Amino acid sequence: MTPPALPSLSERSSFDSMLPNSSKLLYSIDLILHLSRRNFLLRYRGSLLGVLWSLLVPFSQLLVLVFVFGKVLPLQIEGYPAFVFTALLPWNWFSYCLSSAGALFIGNRDLMRIPTFDPMILVVVDVLVNLTLFILFLPILLLILLLYDRPFTPVIVTLPVILSIQAMLVIGFSLIVATCNVFYRDVQYIVSVGLMLLFYLTPVFYAVKNLDHSYQWMFYLNPMAVLIDSYRSILYWGYPPPWIHLAAVGAVSLLLLWAAQRFYRKRLPDMIDLL
Amino acid sequence: MKDILVADRVSKRFRRNPDRYATLKELLIRRLRAKRVADEWFWALKDVSFRLQRGCSIGIIGHNGAGKSTLLRLLCGLGRPTTGNIQCMAGVGSLLELGGGFQPELSGRENLMTAGILSGLRKKQVEALQEDIVAFAELEAFIDQPVRTYSSGMYLRLAFASAIRMNHDILVIDEVLAVGDHRFQTKCIDQLKEFRRAGKTLVLTSHDLEQVRSLCDEVIVLEEGAIAYRGDPENAVHYYHELMRQRTEKRAAETSSAEGLPHEPSETRQGERLGTFEAAMEQVLLLTDTNERAATWKTGDRLTVDIHYRRLPNVQDVAILLGIYTETNVKCFETALPSARDLFGPLSETGILRCVLSGLWLHPGRYYVNLGFYPTDWSYTYDYHWQMHPFWIVSDEPVDRFQSVSGPLAVHPLWSRL
Repeated sequence: MTPPALPSLSERSSFDSMLPNSSKLLYSIDLILHLSRRNFLLRYRGSLLGVLWSLLVPFSQLLVLVFVFGKVLPLQIEGYPAFVFTALLPWNWFSYCLSSAGALFIGNRDLMRIPTFDPMILVVVDVLVNLTLFILFLPILLLILLLYDRPFTPVIVTLPVILSIQAMLVIGFSLIVATCNVFYRDVQYIVSVGLMLLFYLTPVFYAVKNLDHSYQWMFYLNPMAVLIDSYRSILYWGYPPPWIHLAAVGAVSLLLLWAAQRFYRKRLPDMIDLL
Repeated sequence: MKDILVADRVSKRFRRNPDRYATLKELLIRRLRAKRVADEWFWALKDVSFRLQRGCSIGIIGHNGAGKSTLLRLLCGLGRPTTGNIQCMAGVGSLLELGGGFQPELSGRENLMTAGILSGLRKKQVEALQEDIVAFAELEAFIDQPVRTYSSGMYLRLAFASAIRMNHDILVIDEVLAVGDHRFQTKCIDQLKEFRRAGKTLVLTSHDLEQVRSLCDEVIVLEEGAIAYRGDPENAVHYYHELMRQRTEKRAAETSSAEGLPHEPSETRQGERLGTFEAAMEQVLLLTDTNERAATWKTGDRLTVDIHYRRLPNVQDVAILLGIYTETNVKCFETALPSARDLFGPLSETGILRCVLSGLWLHPGRYYVNLGFYPTDWSYTYDYHWQMHPFWIVSDEPVDRFQSVSGPLAVHPLWSRL
């Protein structure tokens, strides 16, 4: 006989909820910082060039793009390396996170099995680690902007706003990918193909405004395009970001984050059984 | 006293074929074929209820697949019961898989910090506990080396030390006390006793019934996901043995009707022999130093046991038990070999295994070599020889008229006044 269904009280956090909120927050900070540090240590342990590797990748991307669109198919954009680099860094943040998201849950089985551990932390840590890489690059980016005589204006202080919106967007997407990939292992391959295609559909190495107007609407549907447009506005052009579009993307990101979180919470018990 | 852990009619259901639709591609293909595979479910736990008071310790025993690990995982909050609920009023530390979460590339110290933080402590708290843990694990010299350079013993010591020293109110331990060298194992058991004296709660499973008996106030016997028995350790262990015997008999009846046995179509017991005979000890020889058969040995002599076995092709590996017992069935010694295949490599269908016992330091008397072949999960018995191979220990030493000795162990007590 099947026992009657009772409301289950054994959520993972039945004990956590007894802690006061402030110490819970402090604990979460400790946890996230420690896991990020661990993540960094692991990534560069045993490699000769260490953190240099992650510097080399964007530079080689930059070189190739500058060669192709500066010499082979000239796009005639002023200060092209600075133009590309402002977009390349946020794009890489987005794409590194999403391409590693699939492995986050299935690759950290032992962490997932720890009772009080909320696996969503893994997603947050991954996004933060990649954000740190982005921030490490900022001085280099500023240097390049200076080299190409780009205007520096006070709108640069809006950078944290754009970063936070992108962080929400990335966490939302990563959470969905990480969760789906536990159930269907080919989600991560689909994501990597999608990322490759999206790279060409996002104005990283070209400018939208040079495009025929009948195609421009497409870019407003792509939140990454809007974000990259915003980064470019404040860093490369020295204009304020396109506030209305940015606000819309912010709202979408928030909604996505909320939906992703609900989806994840709903699937969490199944995921733990499956792993 | 207040209940610290309550399981209320907990049941857990798993899909039998969990890798169905492992990818979207397969999902699509199956949808297109429109062949729906019926979901096959099985209940790993059925209606398990118990209450545990603060300071009580409970052992859970049962053969492999009885639901022990599932229950422990649920108690730790890993996964949710399908129905029923579990309430836990304190922090739970768990040793479900030793060293789960250890990163081989990082140092012991780093891993300790990870384990500590993951178990719910602040960074500062872990730092405060760190030296104590390292000292307990006896790893002072190696703690800054990457864990991958550790021997398996060191690894286990670190894992155990980090779990037990983190000050949880409840500690859930799954089958991990059977590891590490003997001295450290004793240290761990002492530590667990200490833990209990401190009024904390232990939930553990072990195949070592002796351990369960010494560490628990109460024992639950699980059988096919349900509580078959709950009571004091002594009776529970008896009950478990009885259960295991029944399983063996049932299995023996099944196999003997299913396939022609290599020999002796025995129902179950044959005098003092028990088992399914899927792997059987056809002949057991007790040999002296000169490899001759004999019936008597002197105290301190060497005993060689040759086991002529035969196995059915489907039996790939056996676990072996070899012990020496007195006439009154007191265990003098026993050795358990969890996997013959690990030690000898793939087993031929028939062959001879030899075990040499280098010195029989036993008092004169009649003893038995008791032997058993088991599946590697010890869930039932292939062949068990109980009191089938007797031998005598004789002594030519003069009888000591000043003292009398008893017990099986011959240690030659020598008294003097200083």
